[in-house]
Amino acid sequence: MAKEIFMPKLSSTMEVGTLLQWFKKEGDSVEVGEPLFEIMTDKINIEVESYEEGILLKKYFEEDDEVPINHIVGYIGEAGEQVPETPPGESGAAKEQEEVSDSRQAQTEDLAEQGITETTSEEVENEPTETAETAEKLRATPAARRVAREESVTLAEVPGSGPNGRIHQIDVMAFASSNAAPKATPLAKKVAEAEGIDLNAVTGTGSQGKIYRADVEGAKQPASPSAPTPAPTPAPTPAPTPVAAGGKRVKLEGIRKVVAQRMLQSKTTAPHVTLTTEVDMTETIQLRKKLLGLIEQQTGFRVSYTEMIMKAVATSLSLHPSINVTLEGNEIVYREEINLGLAVAVDDGLLVPVVKNANQKGLSAITAECKRLGKAARDSKLKPDEMAGGTFTVSNLGMYAIDAFTPVINQPESAILGVGRINEKPVGVNGVIELRPMMVLSLSFDHRVINGAPAAAFLTELKEVLEQPFKLLV
Amino acid sequence: MRELTYLEAVREAMSQEMRQNEDVFILGEDIGVYGGAFGVTRGMIEEFGPERIRNTPISEAAISGTAVGAALTGMRPILELQFSDFITIAMDNMVNQAAKIRYMYGGKGKVPMVLRTPAGSGTGAAAQHSQSLEAWMAHVPGLKVVQPSTAYDAKGLLKAAIDDDNPVIFYEHKLCYKTKSDVPEEQYSIPLGKADVKRAGTDVTIVATAIMVHKSLEAAAELEKEGIQVEVIDPRTLVPLDTETIIQSVKKTSRLIVVHEAVKRGGFGGEIASTIAESEAFDYLDAPIKRLGGKAVPIPYNPELEKAAIPTVSDIVAAVKETLNRQ
Repeated sequence: MAKEIFMPKLSSTMEVGTLLQWFKKEGDSVEVGEPLFEIMTDKINIEVESYEEGILLKKYFEEDDEVPINHIVGYIGEAGEQVPETPPGESGAAKEQEEVSDSRQAQTEDLAEQGITETTSEEVENEPTETAETAEKLRATPAARRVAREESVTLAEVPGSGPNGRIHQIDVMAFASSNAAPKATPLAKKVAEAEGIDLNAVTGTGSQGKIYRADVEGAKQPASPSAPTPAPTPAPTPAPTPVAAGGKRVKLEGIRKVVAQRMLQSKTTAPHVTLTTEVDMTETIQLRKKLLGLIEQQTGFRVSYTEMIMKAVATSLSLHPSINVTLEGNEIVYREEINLGLAVAVDDGLLVPVVKNANQKGLSAITAECKRLGKAARDSKLKPDEMAGGTFTVSNLGMYAIDAFTPVINQPESAILGVGRINEKPVGVNGVIELRPMMVLSLSFDHRVINGAPAAAFLTELKEVLEQPFKLLV
Repeated sequence: MRELTYLEAVREAMSQEMRQNEDVFILGEDIGVYGGAFGVTRGMIEEFGPERIRNTPISEAAISGTAVGAALTGMRPILELQFSDFITIAMDNMVNQAAKIRYMYGGKGKVPMVLRTPAGSGTGAAAQHSQSLEAWMAHVPGLKVVQPSTAYDAKGLLKAAIDDDNPVIFYEHKLCYKTKSDVPEEQYSIPLGKADVKRAGTDVTIVATAIMVHKSLEAAAELEKEGIQVEVIDPRTLVPLDTETIIQSVKKTSRLIVVHEAVKRGGFGGEIASTIAESEAFDYLDAPIKRLGGKAVPIPYNPELEKAAIPTVSDIVAAVKETLNRQ
């Protein structure tokens, strides 16, 4: 019996996923673990792998379609099996979803986190989704449809040359002949593309000569013995739509959309108060100079001020548990772990990977982790759990000419630290005006759950730690 | 082979039929000594006499009624209407009587008559003398409708029409009268219901009738310079219609344009287009079927406006390019 392919739920906040691309056509055979399609969720792009083996019988959604979680996006089964023409409804309405037992939910998320679709059949309903109804109809001439049938070409993949993209038979024929290219797995294609290898020159070892990655690597060996690195999936850039008035318009979607929603939600639900203080960074700068070589030796990375501030924040937070809180319903939850989020700007938005248990980690470990997470964020390679569970966020704009700013709280956290640049300023020291490297820290906190005094106490603590960094040892 | 004009070919067909069949006679206004409004019957009265080339009063109702009656009694009348527009006056006799008599009498009475009449615009004859109303007639069960475009076809088709035991409306386009083609002297007839491929091509099929056949051929010659091979099909008879030839052509070219002079709205082009859409050729269509027809206006008297009211050669060229997505 045909198995449903679901839109996975990849995080607790994910409601819809945007289908970026299919790696398979209807009629293609699919093996367990093969990438089926790629989706963009709240914060990441991820390839969804098949949990089933068989023939991809049906694709209900096309690129750029937004699909609610647990909706059926397609079917896998045996050739010739009948599946519904229109996508069956959401498996379990949203309300039901919340009532699903914890174990099931946990299971779903486990599977989801591994990029595997859950396939259950009992939750199928037969109501077409709104998404499917609004999906644009394919324009193809009868002749194009006939040739597509004869050549087993999926019309949706054929670019149409006619008015409004209408597909003509010549388009299908051109597509069919270009598609006569060798069959290769998506991974093999990626590797081949990254290495500049012509797939035509590669002998496939798979069924019917299908080319696997190993085949591509084998073909590459003589030229370069180094291990191949698959080309990173490029971050999706929203397609600009030309407008008559000039300028481009970019659809609010994916990360940008989520950032927009989150920021608005945070600003409208949490009464933000921002405290600022100025820190004399002389000692921290000295300490960093001394540690640079050491940490680089250990980790291969140069420790940055961000990481030193992260360490200082972790230490200060452990002394001020009233800042490390979350508001859940009517309860203030004092979080036991100190998981520090690090705001990372990426091309089309803002990602916040999380350094878990930062208070238990040394500066080397924090440095290594921040560097790794930062790169993963910029490469769109963050995993859902690397962005989950934060309790406090650090947002550093010190690399710009920014002295101070009012950061917006990254909910469900209750406070966020904004870090400005280090700038030499004349300050009074023991009755003498001296030039000192000064840095402004801005702490925004949710006044529903944190009062001004404890916030001020925390910020003062942080200032003292940074001005006398030996306190980190205590 | 000798060349004849379309007009001469029609006359020759009638003369040959009359010579070999005493039952064939012609009736109409001024067809005797005057030779008819366009001169088709000129000289015939001298050979066949006023009994067989009968002048009639100015009443299309009377002429058609007489023809129906004569046909029922075993004669094979050819009636000529000066302008096809006047068929409205003969409508009851043609639509309510001639078309149905054989059916209503269970085959015991038949109406072997031909109504010949000049149709179409292009002569400055204005709104009441320039229409193309063939779709009206094609709609009526029991009537056959013929629309020859060349002299050769006119002779062969008219002989077949006269031989037919059913009422046939024979539309002669006024502008076709002076066109010439090779016409054999000997007897020949072209069966009704057999289309003619006037030009073979591979890129697009044009089904055109009457004067539009000539315009389409002109357009095709022009398009050939750009490497576009147009197939021009002249169905020659609308009823019966040779759907097979059209379907085969569309299966070959994947594109269909129907061109007629009659007003596009409700015109016979719609019938041809739907026939293809319903047929196996549908799956071969690679562009929407296109119809070119006259504008929904009375044919204007002003010569420039008259030309503008019906499809031109450049309209056809443009339609072909549009259909081929090559504008």
